[in-house]
Amino acid sequence: MAQSNNSIKKILTVAFALCIVCSIIVSTAAVALRSKQQLNQELDRKSNILSVAGLYEPGTDIEEAFQQVTPRVVDLRTGEYTDQFDPATYDSFQAAKDPAQSRTLSGEKDIAGLSRQENYSTVYLVGDPDDPEQVILPIRGQGLWGLMRGYLAVQGDGNTIEGITFYSHSETPGLGGEVDNPRWKAQWEGKEIYADADSAQPAIQLVKGGASDETEVDALSGASLTSNGVTNLVQFWLSPEGFGEYLARFRSGVDREEVQGASTDQTEGA
Amino acid sequence: MSAPTPKGVLTTPIFKNNPIALQILGICSALAVTSSMSVSLVMTLAVIFVTAFSNLFVSLIRHHIPSSIRIIVQMTIIASLVIVVDQILKAYAYEMSKQLSVFVGLIITNCIVMGRAEGFAMTNSPGLSFLDGVGNGLGYGFILMTVGFVRELLGSGSVFGVTVLETVQNGGWYVPNGLLLLPPSAFFIIGLIIWVLRAVNPEQIEETEFKMKENSQPKEAV
Amino acid sequence: MGIRQTLDNLEPHFHKGGKYEKFYPLYEAVDTIFYSPPSVTKTTAHVRDGIDLKRIMITVWLCTFPAMFFGMWNAGWQANLAIADGYGALGGWREAIVMTLAGSHDPGSLWANFVLGATYFLPIYLVTFVVGGFWEVLFAVKRGHEVNEGFFVTSVLYALILPATIPLWQVALGITFGVVIGKEIFGGTGKNFLNPALTGRAFLYFAYPAQISGDAVWVAADGFTGATPLSTAFQSGMAALSEQYSWWDAFLGFIPGSVGETSTLAILIGAAVLLWTKIASWRIMLGVFLGMVATSFLFNLMGSDTNPMFAMPWYWHLAVGGFAFGMVFMATDPVSASMTNPGRLIFGILIGVMTVLIRVVNPAFPEGIMLAILFANLFAPLIDHFFVQANIKRRMQRTGVPAEETA
Repeated sequence: MAQSNNSIKKILTVAFALCIVCSIIVSTAAVALRSKQQLNQELDRKSNILSVAGLYEPGTDIEEAFQQVTPRVVDLRTGEYTDQFDPATYDSFQAAKDPAQSRTLSGEKDIAGLSRQENYSTVYLVGDPDDPEQVILPIRGQGLWGLMRGYLAVQGDGNTIEGITFYSHSETPGLGGEVDNPRWKAQWEGKEIYADADSAQPAIQLVKGGASDETEVDALSGASLTSNGVTNLVQFWLSPEGFGEYLARFRSGVDREEVQGASTDQTEGA
Repeated sequence: MSAPTPKGVLTTPIFKNNPIALQILGICSALAVTSSMSVSLVMTLAVIFVTAFSNLFVSLIRHHIPSSIRIIVQMTIIASLVIVVDQILKAYAYEMSKQLSVFVGLIITNCIVMGRAEGFAMTNSPGLSFLDGVGNGLGYGFILMTVGFVRELLGSGSVFGVTVLETVQNGGWYVPNGLLLLPPSAFFIIGLIIWVLRAVNPEQIEETEFKMKENSQPKEAV
Repeated sequence: MGIRQTLDNLEPHFHKGGKYEKFYPLYEAVDTIFYSPPSVTKTTAHVRDGIDLKRIMITVWLCTFPAMFFGMWNAGWQANLAIADGYGALGGWREAIVMTLAGSHDPGSLWANFVLGATYFLPIYLVTFVVGGFWEVLFAVKRGHEVNEGFFVTSVLYALILPATIPLWQVALGITFGVVIGKEIFGGTGKNFLNPALTGRAFLYFAYPAQISGDAVWVAADGFTGATPLSTAFQSGMAALSEQYSWWDAFLGFIPGSVGETSTLAILIGAAVLLWTKIASWRIMLGVFLGMVATSFLFNLMGSDTNPMFAMPWYWHLAVGGFAFGMVFMATDPVSASMTNPGRLIFGILIGVMTVLIRVVNPAFPEGIMLAILFANLFAPLIDHFFVQANIKRRMQRTGVPAEETA
């Protein structure tokens, strides 16, 4: 038997049979489990969004809780909603890489270190889409070691912060990695983005040695570079370069009507 | 070496012939996944599953594997098993698979799996090979869990995610050791485990390559 | 001759079969403090010299004194300045001692500053000595070799590169790691390839960064935050640095920092003695210095809009941070450095280059000398290997006879 094992015929037979069997097993597993995996990814994203809005606790039924959240795509340049893209499938990270759907950021404006920014971004509205309790904005920017990605929840007045979360980052565990720490994140609640009603530039920032007013948050101790990164990315995304135009709609009561008017015919489920 | 016994193949890899501590195989994943115990546990189970079944399947068809393509046959079997494990984790333990990230896929390159398939399963019966796979997976898991325990307890103050030492960041007293959150710390811990194992089993100590003579005489000192 | 007699009377107890056979290393250590070792070289190929390891180590230890005493004064002065500005003293038993001995927090008083600094440095040194000494003796007893005086040097160097406010339990952990992992597991003094003092500090640096880096740890006053000159330059640029401190401040050591590393002048005094007695290798020091100067020149020429550290000139690199201390006391550690003469020069240059590289380019660590020396320690055997091989080749060409196998 040992001799016949090394005949060309036997080699080909074994190789072929093995390939068939293995590929059947692998593809069966992949196909059978795909829907379940996609569901998991979707649930993961939703639970991040819910937790920044303060709507998620272990044990919450994510699908049910997400009923009150409506995703919409916003044109960052004008602050208007758009129906050009389906919010369920629009991928802003992909868009940021596509020259047709994004713009380059020049050195001084690019405080968050992104180098390219998409023109449209997905926001999540909690509650009545026409008069949301909270707006959840995707944010990202450079930390010390790499890109930090997260969500920022802003209340319906377009000024008060409800919560912040970072779902992916590569900061040093124990120092910058504390951006994950629930205790640190908790102090964002109730902070205000803008110093006064007219300013277009956000004032919110991280400060060392204790926050003294509503637009200041305690920096992460021992991690000044990560803290600078968080300040920069939050300021970038809340400035007119980011969601500033969009948030302005919520901040001034006059424009609010207009937003509502523009969006009534576009309300759709997630 | 005497003929392998079922009990022998299952237990010797844990202390006597540990794949990580004595053969120094599979170190890279041991560094990467041991910052928390639950992740280490999932990784251990995945490796036990893969080594056991790859050993079983390789042993089942060992009389039909042409020697010229035996490595690639083993690789194919191992790779298929790893993909299946990866898919299952993604479907049923998504949080875990996110933390394990590429390291489940990298079980393919884990020398322990390959080494057992080639070194044991090719020449032994399926039953024994299966047990040998489980045994080596357990040996790997023993190190992983020990390292994971030390790293999670001292690095984050918890065991399996349950807080044991309340850390300063959360208002407690324990100052967590940041070094243990970084992968290289596993090197130190594995080194210390090897030290302990060899102190207990002195036959594991390698022979010294040379020894310096004390007060060598003129003739010898040339 | 009283001591000799007492020791001789005790000696039999420590020999094989005696009551305290296990503790012979301890006896030996005490004996050789007073007298030269009883076992002397008898065979060929040895230099007979009055100097031995013990004397070398004690000389190095004495050389750290200027930096140590200045460091204690400076630690106290920095703290008293902050306290005079209205920050609270840290209190506790230290405060009680300061009040008893000095009676005030007057930054103008030499004595008050010195006492306050000493209440921080001496406990650190004591803990280092006791805990490190414990491990040293434990391994000596267990392995049956003598207690090595290298530990004198390791402990003082280690204590001098810590910030004054570091918690004492961390001091103990760090020296434990340094002595056990950095030295003993490789076989003890002479066989370690890493500098044990730096290994201990590196452990603390990665394990408890909040207590050994940042802005709040350097000055022992409640709530006071003051960046070291190096991190000031790192964060705000050279202009901000020269506004705050003059170069002479930094050179003389009137700046916040680890206890022993602030005064470049005091360190250079120690360096002069080390070089004069030929205990430290001038090649290593020169190499470190040249590597640093060349690399900082290169960065000065390149320039950068975003990174202010590019603009730091070499004389500032010399005066701030732990550069001088590392160059004089750490890089020249005879065990973990290169052993061949040309190798020493290369080894030093590698340290100098890496130090500036880490200081300037790395986004997270303002200081680079510690990691640079540890890095170069790893390369030292390789550097030596090349020079030894080159030498063998040259000899082959000259004589045409292959060297005899001497292993």
